[in-house]
Parts: sequence; C-alpha cells; structure tokens
Amino acid sequence: MIALVLLLPLFIALITMALINDKRAGIIRYIPFFASMASLLLIPFISSGESSLSWFSIAGHTFSITTIDSPLNALLLLIVFSMASIIFVYSFGFMDALSEQKRFYMEMTAFEIAMAGFAMSGNFIMLFISWEFLSLTSYLLIGFWHSRESASRAARKTVTIIMIGDIALISAMVIFYTIFGSLNFITILTSISSVPALYHGSFLIGVFLLIVAIFTKSAQFPFQEWLPDAMEGPTPVSAFLHSTTMVKAGVFATLALLPLFMDTGYSNILLYFGIFTAAIATLNASRELHVKRVIAYSTIQELSLMIVAISSGAILAGIYFFIIQSFYKALLFFSSGVMMKATDDEDLNKITGLRENKLLYFSTLFGALSLAGFFPFAGFFSSISITSTFSLSENFIIYLILSLISIGTSFYIFRWLLLASKDPTDSKVKVKYKTAPRSMIFTTALLAVLSLASSAIFFIMRRILPSITLSRSYLVGTLPLGISTGEGVLETALILIGLGISLQLYSKTKRSQPMVIYDWIVHSTLLFNKLYEYIAAFVYYLAEGIAIFDLYLSDLFDYLGHLSYSLAERLRYLAVGDTNLYVLIFSIGILFTTGCIYIIVIK
Amino acid sequence: MDALSYLVVFAIILLPLCSFITRVLKKRSLQLSITLLLLSAILVMFISLGMSGAKGTIFNVISISPFSIFFGIVFTAGFLLINIMASEFSDKYENFSLLASFALVGMYLVAASNSLITIFLGIEFTTLPSIFIILLSKRSIEAAAKLFIMAAIAIAVLSFAIVLSYGATNTFSLPQHSTSYFLLFAGILFIASLGFEASIFPFNVLMPDVYSGSPAFITGMLGGLNKKMGFAAFIQVMILLLISYHELFYVVAILSILTMFYGNLVAIMQKNVKRMLAYSSISQSGYILIGIAAFGSGGIAAALFQIFAHTFLFIGLLGIVAWMESKGRTTIDNYIGLNSENRFAAFSMSLFMLSLVGLPFTTGFVGKFLLFLSAVNGNLILLAIFGIVNSIISVYYYVRVIIAAYTKRYDTRPLRMSRQLSVILISCIAITIILGVYPSPLIYFAKSAGAYILAL
Repeated sequence: MIALVLLLPLFIALITMALINDKRAGIIRYIPFFASMASLLLIPFISSGESSLSWFSIAGHTFSITTIDSPLNALLLLIVFSMASIIFVYSFGFMDALSEQKRFYMEMTAFEIAMAGFAMSGNFIMLFISWEFLSLTSYLLIGFWHSRESASRAARKTVTIIMIGDIALISAMVIFYTIFGSLNFITILTSISSVPALYHGSFLIGVFLLIVAIFTKSAQFPFQEWLPDAMEGPTPVSAFLHSTTMVKAGVFATLALLPLFMDTGYSNILLYFGIFTAAIATLNASRELHVKRVIAYSTIQELSLMIVAISSGAILAGIYFFIIQSFYKALLFFSSGVMMKATDDEDLNKITGLRENKLLYFSTLFGALSLAGFFPFAGFFSSISITSTFSLSENFIIYLILSLISIGTSFYIFRWLLLASKDPTDSKVKVKYKTAPRSMIFTTALLAVLSLASSAIFFIMRRILPSITLSRSYLVGTLPLGISTGEGVLETALILIGLGISLQLYSKTKRSQPMVIYDWIVHSTLLFNKLYEYIAAFVYYLAEGIAIFDLYLSDLFDYLGHLSYSLAERLRYLAVGDTNLYVLIFSIGILFTTGCIYIIVIK
Repeated sequence: MDALSYLVVFAIILLPLCSFITRVLKKRSLQLSITLLLLSAILVMFISLGMSGAKGTIFNVISISPFSIFFGIVFTAGFLLINIMASEFSDKYENFSLLASFALVGMYLVAASNSLITIFLGIEFTTLPSIFIILLSKRSIEAAAKLFIMAAIAIAVLSFAIVLSYGATNTFSLPQHSTSYFLLFAGILFIASLGFEASIFPFNVLMPDVYSGSPAFITGMLGGLNKKMGFAAFIQVMILLLISYHELFYVVAILSILTMFYGNLVAIMQKNVKRMLAYSSISQSGYILIGIAAFGSGGIAAALFQIFAHTFLFIGLLGIVAWMESKGRTTIDNYIGLNSENRFAAFSMSLFMLSLVGLPFTTGFVGKFLLFLSAVNGNLILLAIFGIVNSIISVYYYVRVIIAAYTKRYDTRPLRMSRQLSVILISCIAITIILGVYPSPLIYFAKSAGAYILAL
C-alpha cells in the first residue's frame, strides 16, 4: 500500500479544510497547494511494483484494491501533482470571492485525489473507484456556479454522457472477471492469448465496452460534446480538467491496457475514430467564438491525436505528447481566465486588449506557438513524431488528414490570438489587464517557460522514455522517437499556411467576422450534439413510465398501509383489555408455531 | 484460560458494584466517569480477547468464545453510547446507570452462557432492571406494567421449555442434541419466549407500546441492546434445535416473513417518529431471522453482522429522536426544516435511515447483502425476495422523514446540539461508514463467531 501514501497529504488537506470555519476561509486556499507539493515530494519514495489490499470477499471471490508503481504511473502522478500545485497558485488570484473558496478547494482536492488514485491503479477495482470519483467531482466542479442555469445544465450533460462510459466500464469489468477470474491488469494482460474459444465473443464485447468507456472519458466521437460544454466551470477547473485530469484518464487507460486493443485488432477503431474526431474538433474550433470553447475543441483534437499515436504503434510519441500537452493547455486556459476577468466577456469578438499586459501576451503567444507546433516549441516535436508514423505512400489519406489538421490547428489558434489581442476601446480594460493578480500572470509565465523547456528535454526524453516503458513489456520495441529535417520543413510550411490564412482573415485591419466557407460542414457535425438530447428524452420518457407505475405502487402501499394501520389502531386503542390481548396474541403465536411444527416436522 | 478473561469478568462484576457505591454516595459525575472508564476498559479487553481468538470456560458457566466476545463488544460499545445519552437526557441518571449496569451484566451472562440455566438467569437479570428503568419516568408506568406482565409470561414459558428440554436430554448444558419429541415441544416454547425477547412477531405485539411509551434513550437501550440480548439467546438455542430438527428452519423462515411484513407495514402509517422506529426495529428482527433460517450457508455470520450494524444505527437514530423529544418534537411534521436548523443532525439521521434501507458503503448495506446472499446460497430464494421487497417498502417510511428534514422552512433558528450527542452521532457514523467501506475485519469476526456456535 505504499502508493496510497501519496494520497495521504491530500486526504489530510480535505479533512482540515472541512473542519476550518467558513469565516477563516483565507487560509484555506494555501492548504491544497501545500498538500499537492507534499504529495509531489513523496513520489520518489514510493517503491516500484504492485501492492494490494484485500477489500472484501464474498462467496470465495476476493476483491482487492491494487496499486502499481511503474515509472509510467509515476510519470502521470508527477504531472498531476505538479500541475495541481501550479493551478492552485493560479486559483489564488482567480477565486477572489471568499464565500466560495471552501467548496472550490475541497472539490478541487477531491478531483486531484480521484485522478491520483486513477494514476496508481493496478486493477480494475481501483480504476473503477477513481473513475467514478472523477465523474462525481467533475460534475460538482462543472456545475460549480450552480445558480447559473447553463452551468447546472452543462454539469448534467457531462454526467449523463459520462455515465454511459461508467456503465460500459463496469460491464466490461464483469466480462473480464468472468473470463480471467481476476481484475488485475497484469494478470489480464498476460493471459490475453489464452482466452478460451468459448469466451472469445464476450471478450471482444468486453474490449469494445472498454473502448466506449475510454471514449466517453476522453471525449471522443460520438461522445465529444460534453467537453466544450464543461467550460461552464471556473477556469482553474477547465485548466485542470483539460491538462491533466479526467480527459487524460481515458488516454492513460488506453496506454495501460494497450495489449487488449492491439491483440483484438480494435486498435483500428481507436485509430479511425481518433482521426475522425480530430478532424471534427479542428473544424469546430475554427468557427467557435467562445474564448474557452476554442481551447476545449483543441483539447478534443489533441486527445484524438494521442489515441491515434498510441493505437498506431507510435507509443513513445503518444506519451511525449501526453506530457507536453499539459503545460501549454493549462497555459492557454490560464490566459483565457485572465482575459475573461479583464473584459467580463467570453465572446472572442468582444474580448480585447491581450497585448496590454506584455508578460501575459508573450506567455500566451508561447502557448499558441507550442499548440500550433512551431519549431523550437514542444508541439513541433510531438506533432512531427506523430505524423511521421504514417508514411506518405502507405497511409496517404491519414497523412493528408493529419496535414490538414496541422493547417487547421495553426489557423484556429492564431485566429484566437488575433481576435483576443485587438486594441481595447475601453480604458478600464487596460487597467484591469495591468492590475491582473500576480499569481495568475506569473503562473502563466511559468507555464510558458515550461512549454518551451519541455521541447528542450525532448532529446533527453528520447533516452529516458524507453526506460519508462521498460516495466511494461508490451511497450518495448515500439517505434522510436525521431524526426527528419524534411518533415520539419514540411510541418513549418503547413503551420505558416494556417498562420497566413488567419492573418489574412483576422489581422488588425479586418475587424468584421468573415463568413467561413466550411460553416456548413461544421454544422452537420454538430448533429451529434443531439445524442445527449436523445438520451435525455429517453430517460425522461422512462421516468414518465415509472411515475405512472409509481402511482399505482403508492396506491398499493397506501392500501396495505391502511390495512395494517387499522389493525395497529385496534391493538392500540383497546385500552382496558390490551394487555389481555397481547397475552392472547402470544398464545395464538404459540399455537401457530405448534401448528407449523406439526405440519413441517412431524408430518 | 489466560488472565485477561478473568480480568474482564472481574471488571464486569466491578461495574454494578462501583455504580452502587457511587449512587449511595450521591456522586453523579464520579458515577458517570467510573462507569465510562470501566466500560471502555471492558471494551478494549474484549477487542483484544477477540483478536487473540480466546476460547474457554470460566467457573464452568461462563464461556469465553468468539460468539460471546462478539456480543460482548456490541453490548459494551452500545451501552457506552447509551450511558452518554442518558447522562445528557435523563434527570435520574444515577438510578439509570445503576439499574442499567445490572441489566448489562445479565446481557453478558446470556451471551457467555453455556447452559440453559445461565440463559434463564441472564434474561431475568436483564428484564427486571429494564422494567425499573422504564419506571424511572413517571409517564411510562403503563409501558412498564405491560412489559412486566408479558415478561413474566415469557419467563414462565421459558422455564417450562427448559424443563421439557431437560426431560429430553437430561442436561442443562447447551450442546444438547436429541430426537425426542420433548425437545420439539420445548422448541415451540423456546421460540415463543425467546421470540418475545428478540421481538419477533407475533410474540412482540406490545413492544411498540413499550418503545414509544418510554423516553427515547431508554428505547435506544431496549431496541439496541435488550433485543440483541434476546437474539444472543435465540441464536444459541435455535442452532441446537435446528441441528436436531433441520426442518425447523421453515418455521424460522415463516416467522421472519411475518415479522418483516408486520413491522414494515405498520411503520408506514406511523406519525410518531419513535413509534415508527420501533416498528422498523421489528422489521429488522425479521431480516436477522433470515440469517438464522439460512444458518447452514453463512447465515449466522450475516445475522451477527446485521445485529452489530443495527445496534449502532438504532442508537444513533434514537439519539436524534431523544434530542428532538427534549425540544418537544415527536411527530414527522415536527421534523420539517431540521436541515436548516441543524445540518449535522439532518445529515446523520438521513445516513442512519438510508443505511437501514441498505445504502451501499454503510454497514446496513453489507449486513443486508450478506443476509440475502446467505438466503440465496441456502436455497431460500423466496425468503431473499421477501427480504428485498420489504427493503423496498421500508424506503417509503424512512424517506418520508428524510424529506421532512430537508424541506425548507423559513422561520427556523439554528438549533444547538450538545457535545455529548455529537460524540454519540460521530461514533455511530464512524462505525457505519468505516465498517461499511471496509467490512472485512467484522465479517471475519462474525464468521468465526458463527462457526463457533455452529460447531457446538
């Protein structure tokens, strides 16, 4: 249980916060930060390997909580705790209303615990528990401003779609337990080849359900629409959710359980759905005007690319992308948060004046360049190493789509940047940018440095990453990380095309919002947004049906209740003779028992 | 036998003695502290005895076994909480504590008995002080009188049953097997008299009267401890009967169904919360009987688990009821707006009630799950279905109180809760949740107790 020790500081923080009085909320905000730091510092001390604690056993089946501490898990834990610390510092500035702080920090800490638990899970039970806690806490956090109708609606939408994945996951768990007699990852992964022929069909169904679960969590087609709506939560929540927690859970599950998909050939599903989702998300991001939703769509696209990379064998590229995406994604959300605070608006057309704060502007520019994949930034290396997995001659279509996505990415992120950095008309906005809380600006700048530095460690990572995958034998022997000059030049050219288009359309001189040609394509993809509405309608009618049944049931209960009530009333109001009656009933009971025994035993 | 078991017996004898001396000296706080101290010491000793797996006999009548230690822990912990509650809500704590410590000795005697005579003695030792405890409150004279009459009849029937079984087996000691019909007739009377103690329908019809007629903390003791004492006796005797006459489990199953339905259906129409809880505790007896009927397939362990779970849920609930009663609020309508007056009270009440229904990750769920599982494993599927149906029915009346508590009322003022009550509620919540999330140790303990009692 060594790994669970990491959660201890966070649990202590949670309890401490719960005990602190609302009036002294000022100190609450420092607690989760220090707890995250403590957890971060504890990571080197956890021993590697598997450890398990038996939870309960029923009818000979023992269910236990297993944690695993391979370097891959430690890597995710490292990202979670470090990003959490940064995000908590950012929140100092962002959450300035004292009244809400206690709830915010407690829910955020619970969210962090859920994700850390996920990162160290070594069997499906631990995975499922943290998976469910992620769902629950994300529901609370997305609906954090519960008095806003749109927020509670978005939270409900999220939890509805994610519940599909929860059901799929537990169904898959039941299937795997029936087949393998264990829920341990290592046991399952090592015995895939020995699945009895009898179970082969159900095994495939199990893997398919697992893919459904991953798709809901990581917002892949057709479940992608909850993620942009989740923007209703506070900005630190978005930053946390998009960079490290929740959506990354699906990708990490894919990584941890890769042989299940590889050996069944279902990795193709992952690949094609991933490409398709990436394309849709890029299109959506290009026409979106809500400042945070653009970034949200880009997250969907990146998650798809991670899944594409992992499922097509470029696992190291996938892991590298997994790491670096955290930094610039959180950065872009941070700067969106500052913009929204400064201009009190969420519409890109109305947001202005990003350039007023030079530090913020350049940090954001770094993030945008990294997202687009410009040369010295981390995005460049990851983007190329993913694209180069597909050769031009064999997978021409995929290669083409990925190239178009590169153009699109560069287009929408510079569009976002250009629209946000218009000159402000209001002088108050300038002041607000200048006086933005330091904790917000400096964390943004820190992340900008990190997203540049993470590219520098690409070359170190090339050596380190294989050792990370060593403990998982199935990851060994996958495609190495590598880039050639030709690909680099091509990538840069693609980005420049995107940049050129957005400069052409959105540069300073051209203020008006031009018609985007492919608006209708995007519109047709939005149809899948209806999925949620269909589910909601289905549940509604189901509830209607149950309500009718319930009416009859309550009538029945009332009737039965009245029946027994009249009996009880009689017993109660026989005031003079009641004790006699009790004695009578006692005697009748003896006679009744005698009768029973006579019939059952003697006869 | 190691020294610790003698020490426990010594401490138990010391308990009423100290209580008596301090009562005579009229030192209330001293009495309270000594009682709590001794009880805590006994609890710790019991737990360490349980961990060491001690087995043996003291003075030829008291058996130290997993079974008796299990019940010992339930009684001690429950009585500890009841004592704190009584010091808070009773103006005659001195008398209560003295009488209740005698009753507690009786309970220990029943749980640790290895002969029918000890069971008889223990039940007498518990019932008489309990009647006097009820009498402490002037308004409960009627309840006490009723209980006295019925207890007298029950004890008469019990003594007749013991005589009959002596005729069948020529021994008073508990491991007795015989195929004589005398034992069967004795069995009927055992079921009737011990069924009265364990509040099994139709031997218990006056129990709701007694429960609702006495102050809430005494109800907590009657339903939380006295009833469990009845079950300790019932399980020990029934297992012996069941081993001699296996078919008797049908009788237990029928009684279980009757008890569950009686308790739940009458509870639906109750307006007084305490009376509703009295009926709900009867239906809980029905659930526990499921485990006894399915004794061959882990049912005893399940029943013991449920006994443990119910004791603390019931005491916690009665703590809130006693608190509300002291404010003059007794009916469900009086509970409207409780959440806006005291959040903690509303939360803990809802937790206890939902746990009684079977909310996952609480002891109530684990207990019910084990009970139904044992019924299914013992091919008593119908019984399990009846149990589940009854669980569903019980949602109806529990949730009514929860809804009332969470209904908004605007003219509310914060209602302070005393520290003693918070301690009781927090300990009950901790037991409910910790052993609900991680029930393995308790299940293991219950299993060893069940295995011991089956092997007699």
